[in-house]
Amino acid sequence: MIRYILPLIALVLFFLEPVFGLFSPLQLDGDYYYIVPRFLLMFLIFVTVYYDAKHAMFYGLFFGLLYDVFFIDIIGLYSFLYPMMCLIAGYIVKSVHRNLVVATFLTLVLTALFEFMLYLFFSFISMTSMPVNIFLTSRLLPTMIANSLFLVMLGWAFKSVIVARLIERENSKA
Amino acid sequence: MSRFFSNKRLILLMLGVILLVALISYSLRDRDNVSFPEQIIKDTVGAGQSLFSGPAHFVTGIFDNVDSLLNTYKENQHLKGRLEEFAAVQAEVTDLRSENGQLKEIVGKEADLRDYNPIQSTVIARNPDQWEEKVILNKGETDGVKLNMAVMTAQGLIGKVSLVTDLTSTVELISTQNPNYRVSAMVIGGEEGVFGLIEGYDAERRELLLKRIDAEIELEVGQQVVSSGLGGIFPKGLVIGEITEITIDEFGLTKLAYVKPAADFTLLNHVMIADREMPETDGEDNGAAAEEEGS
Repeated sequence: MIRYILPLIALVLFFLEPVFGLFSPLQLDGDYYYIVPRFLLMFLIFVTVYYDAKHAMFYGLFFGLLYDVFFIDIIGLYSFLYPMMCLIAGYIVKSVHRNLVVATFLTLVLTALFEFMLYLFFSFISMTSMPVNIFLTSRLLPTMIANSLFLVMLGWAFKSVIVARLIERENSKA
Repeated sequence: MSRFFSNKRLILLMLGVILLVALISYSLRDRDNVSFPEQIIKDTVGAGQSLFSGPAHFVTGIFDNVDSLLNTYKENQHLKGRLEEFAAVQAEVTDLRSENGQLKEIVGKEADLRDYNPIQSTVIARNPDQWEEKVILNKGETDGVKLNMAVMTAQGLIGKVSLVTDLTSTVELISTQNPNYRVSAMVIGGEEGVFGLIEGYDAERRELLLKRIDAEIELEVGQQVVSSGLGGIFPKGLVIGEITEITIDEFGLTKLAYVKPAADFTLLNHVMIADREMPETDGEDNGAAAEEEGS
């Protein structure tokens, strides 16, 4: 059962993202704030840090493809960016000490990078005409606040599940 | 660094990038229909998504109910004030309707651009990254949804169907930045209908742009904008919004009006797809279908 727990969590997070997306944009004092849930990406980076990068990249490719086809109709965008973020995380994690604080910090930095790359892409194909300062205040900042709340609440749960799976894999090998 | 970019990896990376660019450019083309594998993925994911969006709508429904309970007293006061006015308007509407029916009978006019069959539908997902303004509905081709049909809420028009699969349909909201997105509209309230095109969206003001209005025509702030039905897809008379400002367009030849959308694009839940009764023409709702096909 625990064998399939990682893809199962990824699937649930994939379906939860658009549900939370329904609450956005938030309107406060006449200004709109966009909150983009990035649960799946954060989970994939945790998998990279605590499990292994290959699995994470494979899940990233699969769910990225689903995301592309179902939501944005530009095939190749998320299915490229998800594995790429896992790859970067995989290289960084080799040279740093693995603990929950470092993993959380790394995940948030990569999520911000991910958002920024998407912004660059959509400006490039002129799907959006949002200036950089508006992007930073009305999209990136609220998104990062919401996602860091999510990660602070559930990061330890991710970690313990992934570590449990890792221990099981080691046992089955031995 | 040389270890990182070993030959095999470099080739794989290059192939990946080439594949990526090819796929993106393939999918960025203006596509009218989706390929078969995409249909399967969309329908499967859509089915799974419905399982999750059901409870979510239930929860937001509870919050909405609590919210409206808190406002009950104020609303009640307001509505009581409107009630007397309503009775008079109601009588007038019935009178005008029957008169209109009789006149149509005399002229022998049967079909009307206004008539449509509503297809009730639920929003199962909204594009979570919110760069493109898209929502996904739980009705598809099997329920009679076709490309480019108008989608609305009780308040007014929200968008049109941009992709259809068997069981789901994707709606592009009118607040999109897509330059090819047009809706033929008219301004009511004056002597006669004034025609123009809803073309573009001002993201900072959060208002639609109504373009190509004859420069001779006088418009007023506060006039209502509805769909004209002349574009070939949308029924006539769907409420789009209200004029908030009138200026001259960038070329100085025609007028441009800012239109505040009547519908609220946040927290969409139940929507209606309008299936027009009059025969539909192919193409988008911009009245330029024949032109485009010719070129």
